[in-house]
Amino acid sequence: MPALLEIRGLSAGLQGRRSITQVVSSVDLDVQRGEILGVVGESGCGKSTLATAIMRLLVPPQVLQSGSMTLRLKDGNTYELLELPETDLRQLRWRHLSYIPQGSMNSLNPVLRIERQMTDTLIQHGLSREEALKRSIAALEMVNLEPRLLDSYPHELSGGMRQRVIIAAAVSMRPALIVADELTTALDVVTQRQLLQELAGIRDELGATILIITHDMGVVAQIADRVAVMYAGKIAELGTVNDIFESPLHPYSQGLIGAIPRAGGHRVEGLPGEAPSPWNYPAGCRFHTRCPHVIDRCRAQTPALLPQGDGRWAACHLYEPEVLSNA
Amino acid sequence: MTANSDASAGDSAAEGQAAGRREVFQYAVRRFGVYLFTLWAAITVAFFVFRLVPGDPMNILLGNLTRAEGRQRDAAAEEAIIAHYREIFGMDDPLPLQYINYLRKAILGGLDLGPSFVEYPAQTKDLVFRRMPWTIGIFTTSVLLAWIVGTGLGALIGWLQRSRLSQLAVVISTLLQITPVYLVALGLIIYVGYIWRILPAGGPYARHLQPEWTWEFISSLLTHAILPMLSNMIVIGAGFTLGMRALMISVLGEDYLTFARAKGLSPFTVLKDYAFRNALIPQVTALAIIVGATLNGTFIIEILFQLPGLGTLFVQAMGLRDFNTMQAVVLFSIFAVLTLTLIVDLALPLLDPRIRRTA
Repeated sequence: MPALLEIRGLSAGLQGRRSITQVVSSVDLDVQRGEILGVVGESGCGKSTLATAIMRLLVPPQVLQSGSMTLRLKDGNTYELLELPETDLRQLRWRHLSYIPQGSMNSLNPVLRIERQMTDTLIQHGLSREEALKRSIAALEMVNLEPRLLDSYPHELSGGMRQRVIIAAAVSMRPALIVADELTTALDVVTQRQLLQELAGIRDELGATILIITHDMGVVAQIADRVAVMYAGKIAELGTVNDIFESPLHPYSQGLIGAIPRAGGHRVEGLPGEAPSPWNYPAGCRFHTRCPHVIDRCRAQTPALLPQGDGRWAACHLYEPEVLSNA
Repeated sequence: MTANSDASAGDSAAEGQAAGRREVFQYAVRRFGVYLFTLWAAITVAFFVFRLVPGDPMNILLGNLTRAEGRQRDAAAEEAIIAHYREIFGMDDPLPLQYINYLRKAILGGLDLGPSFVEYPAQTKDLVFRRMPWTIGIFTTSVLLAWIVGTGLGALIGWLQRSRLSQLAVVISTLLQITPVYLVALGLIIYVGYIWRILPAGGPYARHLQPEWTWEFISSLLTHAILPMLSNMIVIGAGFTLGMRALMISVLGEDYLTFARAKGLSPFTVLKDYAFRNALIPQVTALAIIVGATLNGTFIIEILFQLPGLGTLFVQAMGLRDFNTMQAVVLFSIFAVLTLTLIVDLALPLLDPRIRRTA
């Protein structure tokens, strides 16, 4: 079965005075129908830029450089997201492709009541006022919010409630793909957990596909089916949650997993060094400056994201056949 | 209302609305109290300041009389005249008593603000009422028009911030905004009024006409009002344009704007309900602030265009040290400014649901 969203060679960057600084470098990623795919990485690794690029919400100085994104819907329609004109894109948004933004706390318009903010979109997508209201109430119930909340203004709601309203709005059209950027940042762990459970419930109920972007390995472990580990604008490793948490391949993933505190008194190992900023990505493998297993070819050659069997992928020279055979 | 848990929020929504209405009422009452207090403070300051201005209105008045009559009077006659006037103007009482009498007459005597020197024995109240329509007409109309045009234009160039035309508009607005209002007025008078002769640039209406309800008079009145209002509008409007542009640009960077675009709303809805609605709130506050600051510009414009408004009256009164008239002008200008500010302030909670609670 073809992937719901097929991202190929996606590059995006920041337009400077003379040149573009690349933030996301030729990312290849397939988002499978019905899965929850987590994209994890440190701050500044380009994961939010990736999410915004998928939504085509990049604003200058952010620019899209190259690549393609194909959305294949169940009804057989296929959309080349990067080639769609703005008007078609508007039709697609919310109906098939919705977005839970980073900074959800401030994502509601402070001067409009929740009802207006939920229904205006639905009405513009062709629903009647009554139908829009019914859908909004149903969506609020999915995230355990009272329909009476529709009469409130955003400042009357707590942070967790606002976040739920955003989620409800995002699922109200029953979209095929939901991109959630840092969904739980700035929320306490209890609320985080409830939200993640609600989101998983929505996936089961609507059969939606969710791409969740986060820096929090705990979030990924709780909710995701598969994980893409991003480092310095590239995907370092891709695999199921179990594979990545139990036996990470890429030295960066190994470092990330080693840095998670666990029960049982294991020593937490830090990841030495700092992630490079887009203005000075190192040549070759971008992780080689911090990698404990660095070899000569890491400094010269960029490793490709290659299949490692069992649906796992890693971008690391250590797993290339000729390196393995030399060892 | 701050909802602590999800369950309590819905229950208290109705209560919240009732409390909201009560708070709007309290807000209005409080604002009106501030309004009265400011008015009183202004009268008081004006009362004492104008009496401390050096120069005795008696001497100036006598000098004028002497010049008019063309001969000297004897000292005893002058003494009698001065005593007579000092009694009429209540100037022999101690200052605190004068102040109390002034307030008493103003409040209980139906706005009796005393006689004027400028057009003795005319009452200052009548003078001010006769002149006020000119000032209010030009001032209020031009500020409101400037605000409407400036807000619309600013919203547009903020929305299209990256276009060439937008950047050009910013340069032009900046130049106009830093130009003093009298330079703009003089430029209009010289070019439009005298060199190109497109519009009349002096006086309230054509010299040969009398105020009456005829089309000829009204059209003359309106064409004479265009240039004075335009002078005021250009400078104030440029400021409003730049202010609104900056507000739009900052709102465009808000998370809720990204979210509105992600929702697939039409650009018009995003502009109208999300960007403009939010940028409008500080812009309305700006109107309240600018209103006070631009009244003196209107006085200058009246003088340049020879309009019989409060500005020209004030200059006349100043020449005679006519404190009664000066006080009355200040009182009525402040009254006008405060009333406009009050209207603006009371309108704010309608635009911003957050103020209804925190104010």
